[in-house]
Amino acid sequence: MTPRLRSGQASQPPRLAVALLNRVVPQEEPLTGDLVEEFAAGRSRAWFWRQAIAAVALTAFRRSDEVRPLRLVDGAPARVSSATMVRPRRSVNITGSPIAGVGGLTLAVLVVLMTVVVPQAWWVIAAAALAGVIFGVVLIAIRRTRA
Amino acid sequence: MPRSLLTDFELMILLATLRVGDDAYGVQIAREIERISGRKVLLGAAYAALDRLERNELVASTVGNPTAERGGRAKRFFRVTPRGLRAVKETRQALVALWQDLPQLKEKRT
Repeated sequence: MTPRLRSGQASQPPRLAVALLNRVVPQEEPLTGDLVEEFAAGRSRAWFWRQAIAAVALTAFRRSDEVRPLRLVDGAPARVSSATMVRPRRSVNITGSPIAGVGGLTLAVLVVLMTVVVPQAWWVIAAAALAGVIFGVVLIAIRRTRA
Repeated sequence: MPRSLLTDFELMILLATLRVGDDAYGVQIAREIERISGRKVLLGAAYAALDRLERNELVASTVGNPTAERGGRAKRFFRVTPRGLRAVKETRQALVALWQDLPQLKEKRT
């Protein structure tokens, strides 16, 4: 690989890909550094994007593999009474994603990946949504006839 | 209880780390695997394997100083632990044992 020229736009790695890595895998700063170093050594933008998307996807799958204890009670049983008196600060999910460990941006990346790799899956999702609506309407109708 | 036998990719990662030496970091490990085996390596996959190996105490890592050529990001250096070395040896023994006495793999002498 020939070292890339230091001046101009071409010497900079794809900013969006770097932002994606910083947002989704901030703990993997050395990985981003390695990609930047390889890009400076002459790797293409396509290579950088391929590596970045793979890193994001792998991190998403790794997070889904993690074991998360339920933590129904915060602390030991003996401390339950005091814990109920002082309300712990509740964290608010601002990502808009109901899936644990998957943020809004990751969800968007997964949607794009799914559209590219298995676009047929959207028909299954649409059919499932339609079936859900029909099921809901039927349940409401049964409830009303019984009332 | 950590596993003693390694997957093929984990084994490659450990061997490449040993080959590179003390200053082994992600890029060098991936390059070494590509150079020796011809296998294309995703850096994300390499880091995922290295994280897994570190959780099992088969490698240990230290973070270096940030450098300008990496956009102010630090390198993470890896080294194989004694437990990792033992896992490599055990995996090699298991593979060699499986390899032996297979008529399909015996080379014909001319």
